[in-house]
Amino acid sequence: MGILISSIHRTSSLLTRLAFVGALLLAAACGRSAPPSGGAVVVDDVGDSVRLDHPARRIVSLAPASTELLFAIGAGTAVVGRTRWCDYPAAALDVPSVGDGIQPNVEAVAARHPDLVVLYHSAQNSGARQQFARLGIATVELALDRLEDFERSAHLLGTLTGHGADADTMLAAFQARLAAATQPTRPDAPTVLILVWDQPPMTIGHGSFLSEIVERAGARNLFGDLAASAGVISVEAVVNRRPDLVLVTSDSEPAFARRPEWQTVAAVRQRRFVRVSSSAFNRPSPRMPEAIRELTGRLRAAVR
Amino acid sequence: MKPAHLLLLLVAVLVSLTVGVVLGPVSLAPGELWDALKLGNATAGPIVRELRIPRALLAFVVGGGLAMTGTALQALVRNPLADPYLLGLSGGAGLGAVVAIAFGLGGSWSLPLLSFAGAIAALLLVYRLSLVQGRRLDPRVLILAGVIVSAFTGALMSAIMALSDAVALRNAFLWLLGGFSAASWPALGLFIAYALLPLALILGSARALDLLALGDESARHLGLDVGRTRLIIYFATGLLTAASVAVCGIIGFVGLVVPHAARRLLGPLHRPLLPAVFLGGGAFLVLADALARTVARPLELPVGVVTALVGVPLFALLLRRTLT
Repeated sequence: MGILISSIHRTSSLLTRLAFVGALLLAAACGRSAPPSGGAVVVDDVGDSVRLDHPARRIVSLAPASTELLFAIGAGTAVVGRTRWCDYPAAALDVPSVGDGIQPNVEAVAARHPDLVVLYHSAQNSGARQQFARLGIATVELALDRLEDFERSAHLLGTLTGHGADADTMLAAFQARLAAATQPTRPDAPTVLILVWDQPPMTIGHGSFLSEIVERAGARNLFGDLAASAGVISVEAVVNRRPDLVLVTSDSEPAFARRPEWQTVAAVRQRRFVRVSSSAFNRPSPRMPEAIRELTGRLRAAVR
Repeated sequence: MKPAHLLLLLVAVLVSLTVGVVLGPVSLAPGELWDALKLGNATAGPIVRELRIPRALLAFVVGGGLAMTGTALQALVRNPLADPYLLGLSGGAGLGAVVAIAFGLGGSWSLPLLSFAGAIAALLLVYRLSLVQGRRLDPRVLILAGVIVSAFTGALMSAIMALSDAVALRNAFLWLLGGFSAASWPALGLFIAYALLPLALILGSARALDLLALGDESARHLGLDVGRTRLIIYFATGLLTAASVAVCGIIGFVGLVVPHAARRLLGPLHRPLLPAVFLGGGAFLVLADALARTVARPLELPVGVVTALVGVPLFALLLRRTLT
């Protein structure tokens, strides 16, 4: 284990250096369009370019995933505002909350005097974005929903905060841990019903974050054929597909397990539940590899 | 009711129940269906016996109850726009559901139980509000009281949703949108046992509802105890609606349009009308639920979406045919 970690460190520091050289070359190549020293221009997830004259020093982060990411790339000290849902890392809780992240309280955010507001990508946030623009506050909109968004978001926030090198270091270590945690796909992998709500029963399909975690932990999403990010399904379809396990997002045994109509599902009748409740399971974060390892262990225990 | 009409309705009921059992997200061959009915077949058996049959029957009783409730309320408040949720019950039920989720009240029945309690509370509140100046259950006051109770419970719901930390709250709306995913034999048995009394009370008031339609004065001169009739109709329809919201959320349209359609076919007299809307409303909701389960399988549509999408064109057609 010790050898593994130190080797990851070595590779990651090498990668950092490479990335740093790359960044220098890129900056040189950009020539005139590059902003004054220390500043940054990036294109965010809705295609808007965000220009900062200096690295962001007072950031209000309006999504739990972006807050966690900012802390992970060493920009935590620059975070001066967060949502009430931002619960990780523990240091984030010391930052004042400005309330909700979708349709945020613009006045409460402005009162923190931010030089950058990180918004979650949502149509409901377009009004707030315009208001921040009128107040002269720079905003960046991130669609950080899945694993595939993670790297891009980390680079983006790294550039905007002047922690680009830290972001590269974090990502290199992250990729190595992720690769190590990911289980190979086996034909006899257990099928898992991911039940995000039970009245009415709702699941999530292929490509959603939790579905990806489940697949990487060595299981198959029972409704992996659905493209929808979330949908109401019928119990009958569940019976027919015969899940090996049911994954629920609660701490305790779910109450629906005792409802009569659910007794038609063998995995429910035999109480083969896998419970996940940590926030590592509901947002992309550097904790993903640990979440995958944890889930792998629970899946094995539940199948047995 | 003419024998021809009755026969037509009974055929509709039989067809709808058959469709409700035969159609589903899982395609079953006729042989499998037959095995399932004869207590065989490992997969199809539970699907048909534990899921489809109780679900079709529950949709039937609820649909019939909603249609009868709508018919009676339209007569009670003398307003063609009346539907089972006119009197603020949906708001009370919604508030109950939101409270159950926001405060994390566990238990597999807490969501339906609390919406039932919320609907009953709204029923009592509207009743109390309608007692102004001795005008007991005056139709105009009733409608206004229903509107303000709806507005108030809506505001309370929004306040809880804005302040609560429960992420699951948005799902409260999904639940309220209506559906029979929680149907089971115990739920069906409970609903029928409960619904028998209100259904009987409404059926028994058929003649009184005819008289109410003539206006309070005329009804009184013809010997009707107007106050007592109103009280019976009000509480019978309210109790029935509260229970249907608790088992399947809010399903619009059945209670509004089935009564009008039936009146166009059978005339305004309630003695033939009430049993007819029960059978027709039941058959309609069973078919709507069968569609809701199958059109996007394995996803399910809220059944209220289907009742409106199918019911509106049908009703428009009927309106045209009977007016020309």
